[in-house]
Amino acid sequence: MPNQSGNVYGLTILSPIIHDHKVDISHNCAIRTYLAELARRRKELQDPGPFATLSSTHIARLVVMDDVVYVGMPACEEHLKSPYLVFESNFDGDLDTYLDRMARDIPEAVDSVWSHCVGYPGLQDVARFKQYMKRCQLTTTFYFADVNDKTVQQTLRALQMQNALADFIEKNQGKPPAELQKAFAIFLNTQRPEPRPGMPGIGGMPCIETKMEWHSQ
Amino acid sequence: MSKLDETDIQGFVLRGYNLPFARYMFLEISHHERGQEFIGRLLDLITTGEHWDEGKPQSTVNIAFTHRGLIKLNLPDASLLSFPVEFLQGMKARGEILYDKGKSGSGNWDEVWQGRRVHAWLGVNATSPEALNAQCKQLQDLMTQTGGASVVGSQDAAALKIDGKWTSKEHFGYTDGFGNPDFQGVERHVRPGQGKLTKDGGWAPLATGELLLDYPDEAGELPVAPIPHLLARNGTFMVYRKLHQNVATFRRYLDEKAKLYPGGKEKLASKFIGRWRDGTPVELSPDRPDPAIVNDKARNVNFTFGKDPNGARCPIGAHLRRVNPRDAFGFNGQLINRRRITRRGLPYGPYIPEDQPVRDQDEHGVIFIVLNASLSRQFEFVQQQWIEYGNDSKLGNEKDILLGNHGGEDGQNQSDRALIQGTEDPSNPPFMCGGLPNFVELRGGDYFFLPSMTALRMIASGTIDPR
Repeated sequence: MPNQSGNVYGLTILSPIIHDHKVDISHNCAIRTYLAELARRRKELQDPGPFATLSSTHIARLVVMDDVVYVGMPACEEHLKSPYLVFESNFDGDLDTYLDRMARDIPEAVDSVWSHCVGYPGLQDVARFKQYMKRCQLTTTFYFADVNDKTVQQTLRALQMQNALADFIEKNQGKPPAELQKAFAIFLNTQRPEPRPGMPGIGGMPCIETKMEWHSQ
Repeated sequence: MSKLDETDIQGFVLRGYNLPFARYMFLEISHHERGQEFIGRLLDLITTGEHWDEGKPQSTVNIAFTHRGLIKLNLPDASLLSFPVEFLQGMKARGEILYDKGKSGSGNWDEVWQGRRVHAWLGVNATSPEALNAQCKQLQDLMTQTGGASVVGSQDAAALKIDGKWTSKEHFGYTDGFGNPDFQGVERHVRPGQGKLTKDGGWAPLATGELLLDYPDEAGELPVAPIPHLLARNGTFMVYRKLHQNVATFRRYLDEKAKLYPGGKEKLASKFIGRWRDGTPVELSPDRPDPAIVNDKARNVNFTFGKDPNGARCPIGAHLRRVNPRDAFGFNGQLINRRRITRRGLPYGPYIPEDQPVRDQDEHGVIFIVLNASLSRQFEFVQQQWIEYGNDSKLGNEKDILLGNHGGEDGQNQSDRALIQGTEDPSNPPFMCGGLPNFVELRGGDYFFLPSMTALRMIASGTIDPR
């Protein structure tokens, strides 16, 4: 299904960048400067950047596209009407929630980028912002290669589990079965997720019998 | 594809000489006119790909240049600037990409690599130490007479003699030197398993342009090469890496882990590489070494991994599966056809038998030499993505067990581990190799351009015209 692959939403937004021959710094240069600053902060200060604060984001990418270049016969030469900002994001959940969170949690980043784009209404009226973003939306059929049908949290948890299990194996491989089983019971206890309301079977259940079913939830 | 002009190509490119002794001399070229004269007089001594109808010669001679060497020889600027950027930079500057850091960092390399004095590599292979010394003396005399070059460093290498017999083993005890790729136009018996996979499951030689410059490669493109095209044609790029082996660490680690591994020590050793130490591919014989396979050239490189997707026979991270995944990534192996390298080289240092005490710091290792048309697309890719990383094989950031730089940036990291996949068979269980130390460390090297005979003549006569 376009835009949606299981739990993951694929968002593509193309926003035309303002052309104004009177400004000191061109709008696409201003966007690039802001993006370069994000890259610098990431490198020098280990600042993961605004989209990392939206915990449902698998990957987000911002690119300034000046024009399309057709490599081939000149008969197929085509041009964009203006430079575009390309925004790609793969995230968990639905589009409305994500746009709400962008407006609420990273308003400075959104303003810094989209204030250089044609028709951007600002964030005072979130409904208008969402309307604007949806007008700029393109159908997405390709996703970031590493996205599967797991949420960001499930993926991180699975990686953490893989690491913990590898640790366990490294420390315990070769032990006699009884000892190994005992150690595994202790290990499972340390790997129990926090009990959550409405999650049956986890609360007081002996861990050895849960068979790690929670893992795939 | 017609036959190649073997007599225009340096013999080192077309065949592994399989001579037990070698000396690799590193030359500094002091002055371009005298350097040109030296190369001009060297031409008659250089071994080309011509057929050896009267058997092997007593010795062979080949030459290659760093970018600094080509500057010293006064190549025109337009030619110098037309080389690919990784060759211009040299291997030291590519350390970030190659993960040559920590104990493998250039600060820990041998003295000869500390300056910028290595302008050329002069490689001599020989049947005996006497033949080697005689050939090297002749070369030394030529350098002295012309004043064109001087030796700033020298590396001896030799096949390992074990129990009185020459072997193709390296210091960890593995039989080495299987499986160089076949290329179109190179006259050699095409062996199943050596080239690229075809759609019907057979094997075909790789495009010539994966080895030699100025020929189409697997994408039908000409590799990036210097101008004029005569400078490039029939030449290639060479990687020289001196890989020190921590033999004591390897033996200790293997003994220690084998105590916990129900398959036994030799089986564990086989899982690291994907071959039993006698050379038997574990994909073909997972339970025991089989000399009949090792000695059968139609079988010893003839296997695929398609029926072993989970690494039950050959682990996904085994060295030979990492560096030549064959069909493991699907698409009939087409994803790997532009990542193949040709390997040369020999061990250095004396072999210490398994029952003798051995120390890490003694001089022993492998001189690892790679030939390829594109340093960045072939050697560097394999090193960066398949040796020092595991994502293509879905192994996350696991590195090659024996070749990976496990010590990391500061040489102190001890947290690397690698999973050896297994089955429910009690003698073939999954096994975690934790606390991986550095088994191999880089002690120096560089990138070289290995020109054709035509190009060497042009260099010697100063007649390279890039216009």
